[in-house]
Amino acid sequence: MSRKRQRLVPDAFGLKRRRERGQTEADPLRGESGKRGRPRARRGAAGGGRTAPPALLPAAVTRSLRPGSARAAVAELVQLFPRGLFEDALPPIALRSQVYSLVPDRTVADRQLKELQEQGEIRVIQLGFDLDAHGIIFTEDYRTRVLKACDGRPYAGAVQKFLALVLPACGDLSFQQDQMTQTFGFRDPEITQLVNAGVLTVRDAGSWWLAVPGAGRFIKYFVKGRQAVLGMVRKAKYRELLLSELLGRRAPAAVRLGLTYHVHDLIGAQLVDCVSTTSGTLLRLPET
Amino acid sequence: MLGFLLARQAGLDDPLRLQRAESTRRVLGLELNKDRDVERIHGSGVNTLDIEPVEARYMLSGGSDGVIVLYDLENSSRQPYYTCKAVCSVGRNHPDVHKYSVETVQWYPHDTGMFTSSSFDKTLKVWDTNTLQTADIFNFEETVYSHHMSPVATKHCLVAVGTRGPKVQLCDLKSGSCSHILQGHRQEILAVSWSPRCEYVLATASADSRVKLWDVRRASGCLITLDQHNGKKSQAVESANTAHNGKVNGLCFTSDGLHLLTVGTDNRMRLWNSSNGENTLVNYGKVNNDSRKGLKFTVSCGCSSEFVFVPYGSTIAVYTIYSGEQITMLKGHYKSVDCCVFHSNFQELYSGSRDCNILAWVPSLYEPVPDDDEPTTKSQINPAFQDAWSSSDEEG
Repeated sequence: MSRKRQRLVPDAFGLKRRRERGQTEADPLRGESGKRGRPRARRGAAGGGRTAPPALLPAAVTRSLRPGSARAAVAELVQLFPRGLFEDALPPIALRSQVYSLVPDRTVADRQLKELQEQGEIRVIQLGFDLDAHGIIFTEDYRTRVLKACDGRPYAGAVQKFLALVLPACGDLSFQQDQMTQTFGFRDPEITQLVNAGVLTVRDAGSWWLAVPGAGRFIKYFVKGRQAVLGMVRKAKYRELLLSELLGRRAPAAVRLGLTYHVHDLIGAQLVDCVSTTSGTLLRLPET
Repeated sequence: MLGFLLARQAGLDDPLRLQRAESTRRVLGLELNKDRDVERIHGSGVNTLDIEPVEARYMLSGGSDGVIVLYDLENSSRQPYYTCKAVCSVGRNHPDVHKYSVETVQWYPHDTGMFTSSSFDKTLKVWDTNTLQTADIFNFEETVYSHHMSPVATKHCLVAVGTRGPKVQLCDLKSGSCSHILQGHRQEILAVSWSPRCEYVLATASADSRVKLWDVRRASGCLITLDQHNGKKSQAVESANTAHNGKVNGLCFTSDGLHLLTVGTDNRMRLWNSSNGENTLVNYGKVNNDSRKGLKFTVSCGCSSEFVFVPYGSTIAVYTIYSGEQITMLKGHYKSVDCCVFHSNFQELYSGSRDCNILAWVPSLYEPVPDDDEPTTKSQINPAFQDAWSSSDEEG
């Protein structure tokens, strides 16, 4: 409590010096894992006394791409995605809650993601299990994977027309009937082909969500993995676990996407509280 | 601080700047203080608190047993340790006491001679403070969840009442009638609030996930229904025109009336532009909300960056309004907190909870000064003048 206040009291009087502190505090996973292979001087004086457990993240991003921005966060998160698990048929998906865990200010993260969405760099996909859970995919990755998936199939023509016409024009998560038929000129059989291809998912009579073909497996692994990692924290004594210890444990069989992937999501979705202690970050289940 | 004073003295700075900086610093230092206490009168949970707007000296509290208590917040004793005493109360043996739980109390906005209280026993009672008698009683067909009277109204004396029915009723204190009805909601009205900027604008929040802004002079329906997606249909087929994805529990205008904060049972708090109803998309994160009836939260007034104090389970979460950052969680209550009010003159926060306590959160900026005087006088003596002889028998 007192740490946050000391940071803000100078705010009332002088310059905001939030950047250095905010990056080290709000980014526990970077703090834990970025130590290996990186000289300490990179962090400057604001590094603080963090222990250096063995890191499990792959080759880290350079300092200039520190997740102070949403795009850098998404770039880093797609590297965590296990491509081999899906035989490279799925584009790497990051979640909005994971971006919140890397970018400390949520409103800024939302704004930057919205800008990226408007520029057409990323697509936001509604993952079915939660109204708030949005998956973030780079548009290029999405396009290449979808084309590869529909290669040689009967619906290839409709899918290509969709990718060429609709994707660049409309950045939304879902499409309405009149939008598809009048603005983009799709006929009903073509829309059925798109649903069969997995590019659209039925939402309501006359509206569809944008979807990723083959994402069902990912969603199943994700939901099971999330419950399994939460279960690991729940079964710990006092329902709290040091982050370094959690990452050092063997992942249970239900966790196929990787422990770091799920921990980013849990922190960002506020399903666990992040408490900073002298031995590192502690993940604790909220009391309610 | 000295720099601010000097700049103010020299005319380089606006006088308001020092005031706002100091208010912000005090709000950031809010914590429980052993020197400040509120006398415990309630035997069951405290549902509502209100501080009178004229002098900010008296506070009303309403409890789940129908009891209403009036406290004097001013510290007229010379000691730092002070208990806010109850001046009078409408107890269970009062002939006009509410039969069931009191949900909302509010002082008459222009003086402390009168206050209003509404309760689950389907009545709104208007009390005379000096005699503690009811001056008027309005009866309704359904339980009353919330009521509010406009703090800036000069041309009307309307009290807006939200009940379990879908119609918002406006009761006129001058004539005693409650014939004005605002129709538009589909389920119970959980919170109502008048705008502090315009005396005819009313905001109502309902369990059907909608928040509506009304101009009471208009004969046709509401002015705006707040939409969390700002009209983008692509995200909004199921939740079109809704402010939250669950019941909307609480409403609060910012002190300048330009923005409106709403909390809902989807564990979100949203900030809206009150003139055009646009969602400003400020993200506060998860604001836990388990309350099945209204949640009364409050905003600070007079600081450079305004803060909102929201009951969050058994703690109170403090956020900056416009940036969405969580400052701290005030922990102190044993059970869930139901209501909180901000004392804007002294930057103090009073909160009432289901554990029957009202806690006072006071800014703590300095270390407490030690009480006894002897150490200080001893240290003031110059060592050159101190006696070298000792009165003990060992040295000769």
